[in-house]
Amino acid sequence: MKRAFRIPVAVVVLAVVVLSVTGVGLAKDDYPAKPVRMIVAFSPGGATDIIARIVSQKLSERLGQPVVVENKPGATGIIGTEMVAKSPADGYTLLMVTAGTHAINASLYSKLPYDPVKDFTHVVWVANAPNVLVVNASNPINSVKELIEAAKKKPGQLTFGSAGSGSTLHLAGELFKSMAGVDIVHVPYKGGAPAMTDLLGGQIAMMFDSISQAVPHINAGKLKALGVTSATRSLALPNIPTIAEAGVPGYEAMAWFGVVAPAKLPKPILDKLNKEINVVLQLPEVVDRLRELGTEPVGGSPAKFTAHVEAEVAKWAKVVKESGAQVN
Amino acid sequence: MSGMLGNLALGFGAALSPLNLLYAFFGALVGTLIGVLPGLGPIATIAMLLPVSYGLEPLTALIMLAGIFYGAQYGGSTTAILVNIPGESSSVVTCLDGYALARKGRAGPALGIAALSSLFAGFVATFIIALFGPVLAEWALKFGPAEYFSLMVLGLVAAVVLAHGSLLKAVAMVVLGLLLGLIGTDVNSGTMRFTFDLYALSDGIDFVVVAMGLFGFAEIISNLEQTSERQILAPKIQGVLPTWDDFRQCWKAVLRGTALGSFLGILPGGGATLSSFAAYTLEKKVARDPSRFGEGAIEGVAGPEAANNAGAQTSFIPLLTLGIPSNAVMALMLGAMTIHGITPGPQVMSEQPVLFWGMIASMLIGNLMLVLLNLPLISIWVRLLSVPYRLLYPAILLLCGIGIYSIKGNSFDVFLAAGFGLLGYVFRKLDCEPAPLLLGLILGPMMEEYLRRAMLLSQGNAAVFFTRPISLAMLLAAAVLLLLIVVPAVRTNREKAFQG
Amino acid sequence: MKRVNPDLWAGLIFIVTGGAAVVLSRSYEMGTAARMGPAYFPTVLGLLLVLLGLMVAVRSFWQAGGEAPRFHFRPLLLILGSVVLFGVLLERLGLIPTTILTVVLSRWASREFKGKEVAILVAVLSLLAAGLFVYGLSLPLRLWPELWRY
Repeated sequence: MKRAFRIPVAVVVLAVVVLSVTGVGLAKDDYPAKPVRMIVAFSPGGATDIIARIVSQKLSERLGQPVVVENKPGATGIIGTEMVAKSPADGYTLLMVTAGTHAINASLYSKLPYDPVKDFTHVVWVANAPNVLVVNASNPINSVKELIEAAKKKPGQLTFGSAGSGSTLHLAGELFKSMAGVDIVHVPYKGGAPAMTDLLGGQIAMMFDSISQAVPHINAGKLKALGVTSATRSLALPNIPTIAEAGVPGYEAMAWFGVVAPAKLPKPILDKLNKEINVVLQLPEVVDRLRELGTEPVGGSPAKFTAHVEAEVAKWAKVVKESGAQVN
Repeated sequence: MSGMLGNLALGFGAALSPLNLLYAFFGALVGTLIGVLPGLGPIATIAMLLPVSYGLEPLTALIMLAGIFYGAQYGGSTTAILVNIPGESSSVVTCLDGYALARKGRAGPALGIAALSSLFAGFVATFIIALFGPVLAEWALKFGPAEYFSLMVLGLVAAVVLAHGSLLKAVAMVVLGLLLGLIGTDVNSGTMRFTFDLYALSDGIDFVVVAMGLFGFAEIISNLEQTSERQILAPKIQGVLPTWDDFRQCWKAVLRGTALGSFLGILPGGGATLSSFAAYTLEKKVARDPSRFGEGAIEGVAGPEAANNAGAQTSFIPLLTLGIPSNAVMALMLGAMTIHGITPGPQVMSEQPVLFWGMIASMLIGNLMLVLLNLPLISIWVRLLSVPYRLLYPAILLLCGIGIYSIKGNSFDVFLAAGFGLLGYVFRKLDCEPAPLLLGLILGPMMEEYLRRAMLLSQGNAAVFFTRPISLAMLLAAAVLLLLIVVPAVRTNREKAFQG
Repeated sequence: MKRVNPDLWAGLIFIVTGGAAVVLSRSYEMGTAARMGPAYFPTVLGLLLVLLGLMVAVRSFWQAGGEAPRFHFRPLLLILGSVVLFGVLLERLGLIPTTILTVVLSRWASREFKGKEVAILVAVLSLLAAGLFVYGLSLPLRLWPELWRY
């Protein structure tokens, strides 16, 4: 029996020795000297993934090194984001972040394993994504004002679907509830698609949805758009008023995307990345593709992005607190 | 009707271009090869090849991706039959009788029947899409949370039929599976349940992780218990192709499976996952001698494989006609369409008829190509089984490890799978079958989600389950099925008691 | 020695897991039947599992079950151990060293361990894994430890 386990024991010992020796890596030379990883903390095929792929493809050409998109999905982006926060700040690990990972999660999770402001170098604000408030075409409600009236008449009876508790779409609804002073029941789904299915089937009354998912149904006459959630009208839906102008002054709830790196990214690398991604964001091809997704390219300096992240964290903390949306 | 023929002609015109044929072939080939690797299912494969499709024409890209989807689906069944590892939920039931057949030396016929049933089902389902797609999609929207909950109840009752041992233990395994399925973030409240503060558990336990542990690793361990090499899998290979007897035995099963799968696939809220389970249950219930099931009944491969492929095909309906992805694979296809600047939705059919009908035509081509590709491969797969097990199992182990790791790029899942390997081994020793647990695992979260959503929408009135006709019909069907299961079981138990 | 009925053990496992689910659920909100909280469904299922486990266990005393289970610890420990080893090493050592160590360890679970044969197997599988996954499918896996990176 003793003899039988000699080789396995040897294997394990060898493994431990090699492990302890190889803890340290080497990285020098001019940046970038090897492929850059762009982590997406969500599954492939989603909006964040597609935007990361659009940007990384052109960024590869600019940097002369492949920028490889790697999906590390899980826990509304927490797993991938935490991984990047703990990676070396050498410019070889970037992260495509969202309003979810870098604004909402901070107040939703009391034990969030990263700080969206302090643990990251904010490289550039990539794009904004306004949402749109839609109802089924057969619904008699035609405007935000009528909706507020109807909700006040029947408190707690109208329903709105969302892509899940704590999603941007959910909190857009919570912000609407608190600013308009109405009581509408939140019905969470596992992602935007099943919620849309139930909206089309008339199971729920309304939904805040991403423009890219809602527009085809609006054009096909199956849904009515009541208002967009941005401060100015969306290029994709020029005839639809903003919710702010339609009856809830000051209302704004947008999803956004940006590129970050781990904290203390060396200044020359930060400047280079910011400059190149800004160039990419102005390429007509990239602008077109981002607009097709219902998003609007932003760009700008790292400082502008940091300020935005800080403002968003504060804004959503207030909404989360008021709505009582709780997660662990 | 003539309109459809015209449309199909338009579609074939586009899909039959040499370039598109080439990519359909490439997709089916790559899909099959990757699908055979344990753990790398259609989702991982399409995600990996998404960037490749950037440079292609939209139709060509979609044809290639759809080819990967069918290929991977079929490749998954191959692994299930050969080494008892279900790559995804639909191949769990293929393991039951497919692997039993392989152990009897009939892996070839099992693979052949699986391919041909899939081909038939794929053809029928494609015509259903072409003829009735939009109508069916509208109809499927009538399924609200109450209907889905009742469907899940029906599926749950059916799960018990999967086992061929003790009924009581099968029910307990289903409940255990339901509980395991609840691990992770609760959809309704956002609360993390049973995660022990591990973020890695917050999305629940991936199906593949559980399946590989319970089936794959447990199988390897118990195979290695045998003292001599010769007892482990060295079946005399009895024919590589199915015989006429096989066909006679299973053509009805193929028809039933196709009908069931086509129907369930249309439902965007998770019908397709149920299709293979439902077909297996149906076959076992209508069979004259149900005890053959689990011991290598060819209908137990044919029915579910047909249902699975039909369901996979008709699950394109919500995506193509409404722009709603009904599962993760369809979500990826939607992503691919978006990348190519196509906004999926009701307008695709009228605005881009070449794309729409080209896709449908390519489904027929893809299914045919898949069979042409796979029939010659069968003899290679069968020969693989004659490799000594002591060389085969380290390879299986390694491939499983890489496959599990690549699901999320996370080692945690690998450890979890080892844990389920232990559990699977213990359950084997205790005569508890893992298949009902897996179905419970799939149904658990969906069932709870639909139940609570239905109650939320009805403002707490449980009567919705009985006042909505579709829901009521399904609950009645579940009750009848339950009686069919329980009455004979009680009778045999009583007989046993009297004999004992 | 008296034969231990496998059903008794199975029943106990069900009772313990069901009970654990009920106990763990107590830290979540229960809600009502109309507005179920996160604890509602798992509590009901947990109780059901305890009940089923009791039935299985009690029945085992008069209904003869199958053979008493006999566990083989050598393949169990070595196979699961090599899976765990794979998970631990992959991100740290890269694919090729991990493959070598995992295959050698797992191969030890089978009785017939021939040095030369294992060496060939290790070589073939390392090449296969590297060629297929890293070069063929370009999975984001490292082949070698960080140290090897030029």
